[in-house]
Amino acid sequence: MTAVAIFFILLWLITFVTGQLLFKRAMDVSRTVGFRSRRTLSILSGGIVVMTISFCLNLGLLQRFDLSYLYPFQGSSIIIITLCAALILKERLTVRLMIGTLLITAGVVLVSMS
Amino acid sequence: MTNDRPSGFANPWFQFVLNIIGVVVYELLLKAGAAASADPSKNWSWIGVNALASPLTWLAIAVIVVDLVIWLYILKYIPLSIAFPLSRTVDVLVPISCWLVLREIISPLRWCGIALVIVGLVIVAKPAAELEERL
Repeated sequence: MTAVAIFFILLWLITFVTGQLLFKRAMDVSRTVGFRSRRTLSILSGGIVVMTISFCLNLGLLQRFDLSYLYPFQGSSIIIITLCAALILKERLTVRLMIGTLLITAGVVLVSMS
Repeated sequence: MTNDRPSGFANPWFQFVLNIIGVVVYELLLKAGAAASADPSKNWSWIGVNALASPLTWLAIAVIVVDLVIWLYILKYIPLSIAFPLSRTVDVLVPISCWLVLREIISPLRWCGIALVIVGLVIVAKPAAELEERL
């Protein structure tokens, strides 16, 4: 794998995780100030922009690599999103949830390797 | 968490199932669309825009938009740290569907991976069930 490929895979991962966090934050905010409030819509718009970038990067990667090759990286997004949800969004992270998340990630990596 | 969770068709867990079906459909469409229009010789193809030449990619985009609306709805009611790991049910559904429908052979290593994902999903489902009780 070239340095360019690693760069674009990491960029895809960062934009994907950021987009998911912005979506969740927007929906949390919408429960207190309403969906049509400026605050909700600005966070949601930010999420859509970041996710659109992530989507285009994903298409570019899919044109160069097999889906099964990219799956381990998609798998790692599970752990990163769960950790970021706990750290940034202050969601409750239990040991049980973390073990389950690790097993799902390991399973996704194994499925893609086989 | 408030207890204003809708029921029936609007139930977030029912929408969750619809979302997972949507993900399986658009992943397959995206791969088909990207493969149909691939031209790795061009440097700018890294950003994927040439995949838009395929109608399959546009069909995938339509499914993604619908799926995004469903996903936002789910996130309104379910924590991201539970919803996202559970959404990876697709990772076992796709190979199992291929095995059942297309009669594809699944290697022992892949079965191990599927088993790990299922065990992980069961473990994550417990906090989800506790959340359901609180809703």
